Amino acid sequence: MRFPFVVPALLLAAVGCAVDTTSPARAAERFHAAVAAHQENAACGLLARTTADKLPDPGQTCAQALGDVKLGPGGRVTEVNVWGNEAQVRLAGDTVFLHRFADGWRVKAAGCRPVRDLPYECEVEG
Amino acid sequence: MRWLKENSLSLAFLVMFLLALGGQAVAGMLQFNDLQLVQGADPVSFAEYVTSSDFAVDVAENWQSEYLQFFLYIMLTVWLVQKGSPESKKVEDAGAESDEQQQIGAHATSYSPAWAKARGARLWLFSNSLGLVMGVIFVLSWLAQSVAGQAAYNSVRLGDLRDPVSWGQYVTSAEFWNRSLQNWQSELLAVLSMVVLSVYLRQRGSPESKPVGAPHAATDVEG
Repeated sequence: MRFPFVVPALLLAAVGCAVDTTSPARAAERFHAAVAAHQENAACGLLARTTADKLPDPGQTCAQALGDVKLGPGGRVTEVNVWGNEAQVRLAGDTVFLHRFADGWRVKAAGCRPVRDLPYECEVEG
Repeated sequence: MRWLKENSLSLAFLVMFLLALGGQAVAGMLQFNDLQLVQGADPVSFAEYVTSSDFAVDVAENWQSEYLQFFLYIMLTVWLVQKGSPESKKVEDAGAESDEQQQIGAHATSYSPAWAKARGARLWLFSNSLGLVMGVIFVLSWLAQSVAGQAAYNSVRLGDLRDPVSWGQYVTSAEFWNRSLQNWQSELLAVLSMVVLSVYLRQRGSPESKPVGAPHAATDVEG
């Protein structure tokens, strides 16, 4: 009868193991650093594919569209939440949402403002 | 072969359990990856899926309700009865029963388990061990559901560009109670059906049924 006790404990351990908050924080910082340095091509390379595809208007490149958005400075990281393959990185001047792909964390949404009881409204989102 | 026959009921359920759990893992992974595709995310491997909070919460929410069902059934049938049901004791036997009826203490036989012959805490613990173990597994499974459920729920919320919630917020959320209550209601209905239907219906040869010829009013008679 030991087995039934072990499995719930394993379930708890499986979901409660250590979470890497550094990687998504770095990805969010790199994205904002590239935008601040007007390296829009590099910043687009840090976006999730669906976000990079949806951002430009017809005839625009991702870099041109990102340049038009006028994202404010990100600033220092104040909080990181990671659940599964999703992350939220709060910076002093922005909230960024990221997704973990096989090649690492990529930005799904940036320039986000909270809306009570609803999803954030974001300047850049997929 | 004799060992197999003597344990065939446990073995059959163990095999069916493992097959069903494996099937759930495969079907769950395929469904999860279908959603990943829609969201532009990478598919996950089987190993990643079976260690994910999504799989854990789906498993745990069903386990807790099953163990709750058996815990309630074990405990409530001590005091509550259903006249005519083979699942119930006779109306006059309601309660914890005498030491003589339970074959404990001075009334233990030479074949009784050692703890049934003991006194004090050991006897109390053994006398309530089935209910206690079922109750503890229920609580642990429900706790696992809450922890895994919070992780899965927060992953969805972040994907939807919403703030994550704390464990306290999750266990008071509609999501947590919807998951719990939808399982509880079906388990309680199944027990109710078993108690009531077994008064009037029979399954020849099954110890869960009265003998086919037993009267409807006969209680505590198993075939």
